[in-house]
Amino acid sequence: MYEEPYRWIEAVGNRRQYLDEQFTMGSPVVALAYAGGIVMLTVSRGTPKLYEIYDRIALGGMGHPADLEKLRFSLLEMAHVEGFNRSPSDVTGARLMKYGLAPTIKQAFEEIYKAPFIAKILLAELGVKPERDLFLTINYDGNFEERRGWAALGATSAVQIEMGRYIDAQPGFAQAPLAQAVETGLCAWAVGSLAQTSSGNPEGELSSVRESGEKAAAEALPDTTALLAHVRQTVAEKSLECVLLERNGPGSSKYRALRADELGRLLPPAVRASDSHRCAIDV
Amino acid sequence: MGAMRPHEKLRIQNVGEDDMGMQGDFFQLLKSQGYQFGNPVAASAGMEIPNATTILALKYRDGVLVAGDRRATAGNMVMYDRTDKVLEIDRHSVLAIAGVPATAYEMVRVLEHSFKYYRRTQLQELSFEGKLRAVSKLLKENVPAALAGTGAVVPVFAGYDHEQEAAKIYFYDILGAEFEAVEYAVSGSGSPTIRGILHYVNTWGPQPLAALPEEQATVQALRLLSSAAEFDSATGGVNRELNLYPVVKLITAAGVQTIPDTNLKQLYERDVVRAL
Repeated sequence: MYEEPYRWIEAVGNRRQYLDEQFTMGSPVVALAYAGGIVMLTVSRGTPKLYEIYDRIALGGMGHPADLEKLRFSLLEMAHVEGFNRSPSDVTGARLMKYGLAPTIKQAFEEIYKAPFIAKILLAELGVKPERDLFLTINYDGNFEERRGWAALGATSAVQIEMGRYIDAQPGFAQAPLAQAVETGLCAWAVGSLAQTSSGNPEGELSSVRESGEKAAAEALPDTTALLAHVRQTVAEKSLECVLLERNGPGSSKYRALRADELGRLLPPAVRASDSHRCAIDV
Repeated sequence: MGAMRPHEKLRIQNVGEDDMGMQGDFFQLLKSQGYQFGNPVAASAGMEIPNATTILALKYRDGVLVAGDRRATAGNMVMYDRTDKVLEIDRHSVLAIAGVPATAYEMVRVLEHSFKYYRRTQLQELSFEGKLRAVSKLLKENVPAALAGTGAVVPVFAGYDHEQEAAKIYFYDILGAEFEAVEYAVSGSGSPTIRGILHYVNTWGPQPLAALPEEQATVQALRLLSSAAEFDSATGGVNRELNLYPVVKLITAAGVQTIPDTNLKQLYERDVVRAL
């Protein structure tokens, strides 16, 4: 029944709708540059969502754990075989994305008789110099984007834009010390999380934390206190995951998951009150 | 082979198929892509293959010290005087190599990627025993090449075992048999010379090696390598004119640490050179 072009387009449209729904409950992921490298964070419900891919590449994911796991394994395989056969410096986020993830995810998305990947992925790549840091995101349909400075995963692109707007409004965030970067990241995460819960109704919950002023509502940034309160509320039931790519870290692997005690010290006081944050697998 | 090409599809693993058992095994992954390690190639008569030379590992007060000279030779010829034979595989383990450098470097590359791949896929460090097995396995794969005369490697592996909270030393024969060294291990053409000295110093010296603080252990290592260089032409020792010192690394719970040349120079001039 899909041999007619119209049917096919309709089927892809249905698939988009189905997938969009799958992400509304997901937790956003934020990655941004800071003075010492790159910090990536999210709030997860048990299953970790942030991983090490290669010496200078970290992955953050949204979606079904089994799909993320499949894609993660493929990336690991590709990166390590390439790093062994050529050299570690030839393993780049851009190549993993363009020749690895994108074709696979796009094909799965368009083969309407098979299941698509319920996954959105963010790759953060630490450059030798800060200006070479690269952030890549890919959507469930295989569409990918390259950015400098930061990247975010959220249920919809509107959510991602909203999160980015918050980060861009923090002047000089890329030179900030770690604690400040963690706070910026958490606030951006809260922006995304609130935007998602109010999805379908863009002036919903998020607008309530926006600074007042009717006309300014669309332009003004949400208030930090309210955002951190949202983080604190969420973290009470879930766990905070935070990983770093440290430019001056020892050895060749620059990836490091923050331990719970380290993270505890870095958190803004407004969030620190809750004690239940947990850390990703310690390496 | 195996290299990433445009339009090459990512291979999606189907969990439940026969590759279930090899998850996290990088060496199997390489082999499944056609990689071969330790191919026997008979050495033709008169062919001189570069060799690497005196390495030693000893337990001192805080952990394990691993040291190696820097000379690579082929027959009578000195090929290179800046070889690094004490190679870090990860933050807590080191492989010191004696034998054919081509094979040894390849082994280290395989091991380095294997340990990282395991950690990143399985989300946990490979156990210390697992690391030891990986070294043995590679040496076993290498037996044909070792016997053919083109690829013999006799390494010393040292690392920190987090489970037992101790730094340990293992040495191997070319066939891959693994032996744990209680106090020290040596390998390479200069090793017979220093083996005797190690035994003497450890047994009748003012204190056993295991009681030496870091600085004294380093001085011992410099003296031992200088002795090896005295009697073995294939060992480099110290070349003060060129400011060439052996490679000395320390392994403790905190990880692997390299002693900088400036420190070695200072210790050498103070405690190794005999004042005239």
